[in-house]
Amino acid sequence: MKRYLGRQVVQLVVVIFGISVLSFSILHVIGDPIVLLVPEGAPKEDHERFRKLLGLDQPIYVQYWKFASRAIQGDFGKSWYGDAPVFRLVMDRMPPTIYLTFAGLLVALLIALPLGILAALKRHSIVDNLCTALAVGGQAMPIFWLGIMLIILFAVRLRLLPASGYGTWQHFLMPAFTLGAFLAPITMRLVRSGVIEVMNMEFIKTARAKGLGERTVVIKHAFRNACIPVITVLGLQFGQLLGGAIVTETVFAWPGVATLTVESIRNQDFPVVQGAVVLLAMIIVVVNLVVDTIVGLIDPRIRVSA
Amino acid sequence: MTRFRHAFLALLGCLALMTAAPVEAQTKGDTLVYVFQSDVDTWDSPNSVQRTAIILGYNVYNHLAERDLKTMQVGPSLATSWKAIDDTTWEVTLRKGVKFHDGSPFSARDVKATFDRVLDPAKKLTARGNHAKIKSVEVVDDHTVRFKTDGPYPLFAERLTALVMQSEKVINEKGHDWMQEHPVGTGPYKLVKWTRKQEHLLVRNDDYWGPKPAFKYVRVRIIPDTATAIAELISGGVDIIKAVPPDQMDVINKSGDARTTVSPILRTSMLQLDQAGRTGPNPFQDLAVDAAAIIKHVLNGLGDRVATAVNPMAFGFDPSIKPYTQDIPRAKKLLAEAGFPNGLDFRFRTTIGTVEPGVGQTNEAIIADLAKAGLRAQQSFIGESVAYNSQVKEGKAGPMFNWSWGYYSIFDADAILYDVYKCGEPYSYYCNKALDDLIHAGRTALDPKKRAEIYAKAQRLLFDDTAYIYKWGLRGVWGVSNRINYEGPRDEIDRFYLVTFRK
Amino acid sequence: MSAVGAGGQVGVAAAPDRPGETPSAATVGLRRLWRLKWGLGAAAVLLLIIASAVLAPTVAPHDPLSVNIRHRLAPPAWLEGGAAANPLGTDQVGRDLLSRVIYGGRVSLMVGVSAVLLSATIGVLLGMGAGYFGGRTDWTIVTLVNVMLTFPFVLLALAVISVLGPSITNMIAVLGAAGWPIYARVMRAETLAIREREFVLAGRALGMSHARIIFRQIFPNLVSALVVIATLQVAQVIVLESFLSFLGLGVQPPTPAWGNMLGEGRVYMLNSWWIATFPGLAIFVTTLAINLMGNALRDWLDPHMKL
Repeated sequence: MKRYLGRQVVQLVVVIFGISVLSFSILHVIGDPIVLLVPEGAPKEDHERFRKLLGLDQPIYVQYWKFASRAIQGDFGKSWYGDAPVFRLVMDRMPPTIYLTFAGLLVALLIALPLGILAALKRHSIVDNLCTALAVGGQAMPIFWLGIMLIILFAVRLRLLPASGYGTWQHFLMPAFTLGAFLAPITMRLVRSGVIEVMNMEFIKTARAKGLGERTVVIKHAFRNACIPVITVLGLQFGQLLGGAIVTETVFAWPGVATLTVESIRNQDFPVVQGAVVLLAMIIVVVNLVVDTIVGLIDPRIRVSA
Repeated sequence: MTRFRHAFLALLGCLALMTAAPVEAQTKGDTLVYVFQSDVDTWDSPNSVQRTAIILGYNVYNHLAERDLKTMQVGPSLATSWKAIDDTTWEVTLRKGVKFHDGSPFSARDVKATFDRVLDPAKKLTARGNHAKIKSVEVVDDHTVRFKTDGPYPLFAERLTALVMQSEKVINEKGHDWMQEHPVGTGPYKLVKWTRKQEHLLVRNDDYWGPKPAFKYVRVRIIPDTATAIAELISGGVDIIKAVPPDQMDVINKSGDARTTVSPILRTSMLQLDQAGRTGPNPFQDLAVDAAAIIKHVLNGLGDRVATAVNPMAFGFDPSIKPYTQDIPRAKKLLAEAGFPNGLDFRFRTTIGTVEPGVGQTNEAIIADLAKAGLRAQQSFIGESVAYNSQVKEGKAGPMFNWSWGYYSIFDADAILYDVYKCGEPYSYYCNKALDDLIHAGRTALDPKKRAEIYAKAQRLLFDDTAYIYKWGLRGVWGVSNRINYEGPRDEIDRFYLVTFRK
Repeated sequence: MSAVGAGGQVGVAAAPDRPGETPSAATVGLRRLWRLKWGLGAAAVLLLIIASAVLAPTVAPHDPLSVNIRHRLAPPAWLEGGAAANPLGTDQVGRDLLSRVIYGGRVSLMVGVSAVLLSATIGVLLGMGAGYFGGRTDWTIVTLVNVMLTFPFVLLALAVISVLGPSITNMIAVLGAAGWPIYARVMRAETLAIREREFVLAGRALGMSHARIIFRQIFPNLVSALVVIATLQVAQVIVLESFLSFLGLGVQPPTPAWGNMLGEGRVYMLNSWWIATFPGLAIFVTTLAINLMGNALRDWLDPHMKL
């Protein structure tokens, strides 16, 4: 058990290191922040002066070391507009994003679990075909389109829900549903195939042979075991979820990290972009670690084989 | 099964957490909701060029004088009267019994501290250029101030409406950085909370010396996307939105819950060209853009074509100069003569329409027109006003960028010529000594007839030299909820304290 | 019906039919064809879309960039105020919407195919390399794959675009360079499975070079999996491109792309709804067609494929 956790933590550190190197190199190696800072047509000396000022004249690994050592202490620099510290800016906007992500996940599960199980149990029936059709259709639907249509229907025409913003549970409904609808199709198919595979396994046949009722077989044995691959893949999906969250937040003017990142990119405010990317990635990695650990706890086979 | 029960409970817990997310304390009945598309960078009004900062400042601070929207005349506010003692001295009498939000009394020393701070070249505050003609401020007694000007200053009274009065105690004890986020004014509203890029919450100042505002709270929400702002207005989520694109006006007016109000405003828009480094005669003529057609079709007629950046409502406007009309063949010929027979590619910077209605669509039309003459503009879009203004201020917005100027709501040609054309000013991309001389002369002459002549000469110069590509004087378009009474202000300053309920 | 895969995740295997049944050969054949009906229909639609994109200059009624503000916001031809000259109406500066949708398809397909080609090339090489050589190479590549898979695709794309600036080339580069892990993972798994097969061992014994073994012996067995993943990934990339363009970080106006047309048309949803609706429809139909075709392809090539 300890070994398993230990391995996971090592993996976490390696991955976080990799992410920080990745995002650092993107910003400093691929691009040249100086070009964007200095006025067009400015003489070469200005470029050099800025470079010295921002410490960009030092070798890359020195710059990285400075960045990393400061980052560990929570100092991700300051925004280029307004001087607010990046860490505070990003973390202030983190809760709405986290809440939205969980809400979306919840909605996706609420839709996908029952439908997926139903489809799996009644394979090749009309219900199954309908569910699959819904899934394929849902996957093709552009998420921003759905969001915009929901706003027009529920806010503008029906006046039932607020059109944008954050604060009450009514503000959560449409964004959560949009994000959930984005994730639900894939989740449903995963659940379906997970349940199908499990239903065909030996221990189910044994359970049936023992004379247990179909209901018990399904709920107690099949479902529990199907959850493992579902949870694993759901954890991996967290990254995908973020893609959906970015667009959802933009459509609903949700005050989260995603809108902050997009705004900062539009404003070419690099410290904020870098900070947001690294912090978000770290959170995702931690979530993945937690999911892996939970799965490892539930299914000892994974612990041993990893 | 217990493990799953735990997981399920955890999920439920998350749901509960979400419901516990902050719920508004104010009710709909006592809160006015107002929308900006872009947030301010600071609450320290003299330190910002943003119209949004001017508007917020007007509601939380007071000025020495205030413009009456019905008569458009300058009247008393914190100052009850003023008179010119001689050509270069003005004496101002202050209102008694006024208190700042922190309880300290307002007096002449606060006036002096505010002006000293703004006029100090070392502090580099944005408003310095506006008030540069004031040489010094003396405290005569608690309620009397004497201003000494650098030569005759005809705009003295007008400019009293353009500087908020801040507390000497705050300036000295709290310092510049603190003042960026904590406004301590004498105005009808106080700032309760500022959540950057999201919203400001203001509460009524119950000790205000003037008439009490009808709404107890004001929520200033930041909604960058026009579609969302309009949806919020129609669905009753917000009360006032600005800069509505003219082609969306019918949506609001037909909704039954909101209406639009239009007013000509001082704001004039133009395409600024990076001309400061230019030597020699200007081969430019503004021939490519069919501005009249754009105003008619894209803005549905809501714009007043101008020949230079001076607005028809400003003193000194010269109606005799006729603006260019579109002439593509001639434009192409000029371009070829200048050495670009195959046209020219360049960057065109733009931003969102926080103050300019329909700017996205008009810019697209302009780009298309320019392309017809071989001028291929690559649009470079910056999504936030503050970031955009920073780039402009730091000289990085060339070679061409979309710009508009609100004159700080001073109805005089000087209010645009100095900041946008004078050599060396942070927002000016043009440099012409002859013009600078005219600006200086206009600031100093006391006789209105003489000033009008000077400004006519200045406009002729700007037109012949094609300093920038001029567009039009804007019409402000506001979207207003039917539960309130509100008219679009001609000076482009939204006064929250004047909004009342509609019966 | 078969299992998951539209997103290219390594999920669960397609399960066999109910145990106990032994269908006749004819039934199997018919069933296979029937299952493919959606895929064939989708392929037909897709062919139409591709054809219109490739032949855009001939098929599109107008120049997608020609602005005419006197005819802006014209409704589609079948509505009052519409004209046959602009079948789907015009946008906010008078450009013909149908032409823009067609040219937008061009951009989307070009970005989709180019990015997938790039990702697939990188991913296949790295995946086969990892599976074949094993050891430290394998470990490095697997760690790299894990890091990149954890790092959300979109975030990576955003970060790079923020630095390089939005443009079609940059988007292809980013989407291509960030999408390879999926191919690598699957190719590696398949390579591992094949590596110990007899014909490969025979090749080694005969002294064939590594490159020859990889490309002549192993690769041909991976092609079917590769084709399926690549097809489904094209849909994924098109969706991502539309996300980025919608946010203003992808294809820049005035170049037509379904994503940015939707973004620009958003403010017109309540009166000139066609500006945003038709691009949205285009994204939906194209993505659906590709997904259906991809699923059918997988069923046809090998229903028991681990995808």
